[in-house]
Amino acid sequence: MSTRPHAVRRPISVVAVGSLAAILSACVSAPPAPEQMSRTKVETAPADLQLLCSDAVAKASGIDTTKILPVSSSKLDSNTYQVEVDASGKKTSCLVDAEGNVKSIQPV
Amino acid sequence: MAAGLAVSVSIAFAAGTQVYNPQTRQWIDYDRTKAYKYYKLHKQVPESFRKQVVKFRTAERPGTIIIDGNQHFLYLVQPGQQAIRYGIGVGRDGFGWAGIVRIGRTAEWPTWTPPSEMVARDTKAAKWANGMPGGPDNPLGARALYLYEGDNDTIYRIHGTPEPWTIGLDVSSGCIRMNNDDIVDLHSRIEVGAKVIVLMQGAALYKGV
Repeated sequence: MSTRPHAVRRPISVVAVGSLAAILSACVSAPPAPEQMSRTKVETAPADLQLLCSDAVAKASGIDTTKILPVSSSKLDSNTYQVEVDASGKKTSCLVDAEGNVKSIQPV
Repeated sequence: MAAGLAVSVSIAFAAGTQVYNPQTRQWIDYDRTKAYKYYKLHKQVPESFRKQVVKFRTAERPGTIIIDGNQHFLYLVQPGQQAIRYGIGVGRDGFGWAGIVRIGRTAEWPTWTPPSEMVARDTKAAKWANGMPGGPDNPLGARALYLYEGDNDTIYRIHGTPEPWTIGLDVSSGCIRMNNDDIVDLHSRIEVGAKVIVLMQGAALYKGV
């Protein structure tokens, strides 16, 4: 009889600690990979994604890629970047996902 | 890395770079003072600024150089959707530029001749107005890749540096600097005429486009 309360309390405390750990771990994001342990305060799109947008604009407009340059970019959500491309003076907005799929291009 | 990054957090933030501290699980501002102390302690720059092969999805030909001035990386495109990535230092505020240029020529242990504008504003540069011979103290370091727009020298270079701790920072007058081991490696891999794409959000100047 005297050991019974302990037998009940221990599983409860274990469950409580486990739940707390699960909640905390959900709040703390995983550390970046070693090669990604630097960034700038303003998060721009990775260079390869910016250039995939340039390539898409070149194909759509017929303008030579040597006259097309990404001039700004930003992260819209965890999987999507917006890239502004200058194509011989014409500004085009491009949406590209983190896998390199160009979702849309349209004049600004 | 963490020990080095923990050395100092007292100096005001200058560049936009941040580096992750795995011990505190926090991003911290990475300025010239912290960079110097980190390098003094570890004899190398933080891991993300070291030479490494990375995935790089591109239609550009192998041998093309792509510079991400914002993130402080230089990519040399390789076959198979990969690139060799090196850490770089770039132009400070007002000295950043973007464009599409090419490697016009290269030099080993180059002479440094500061442009007249630099001579006018910098007394250290004025001393070498007629040219500083190549060597370990020369600001161009072990190699220089001269960037041309068509047949014209842009006055910008990709070069080595006697200050390797400045990799990852916005410190130059518009040139792209690499540590000497990396510029020697890059120089050995590129060809004169190679296309160079410089990406820099908010750049004050555009070349070749």
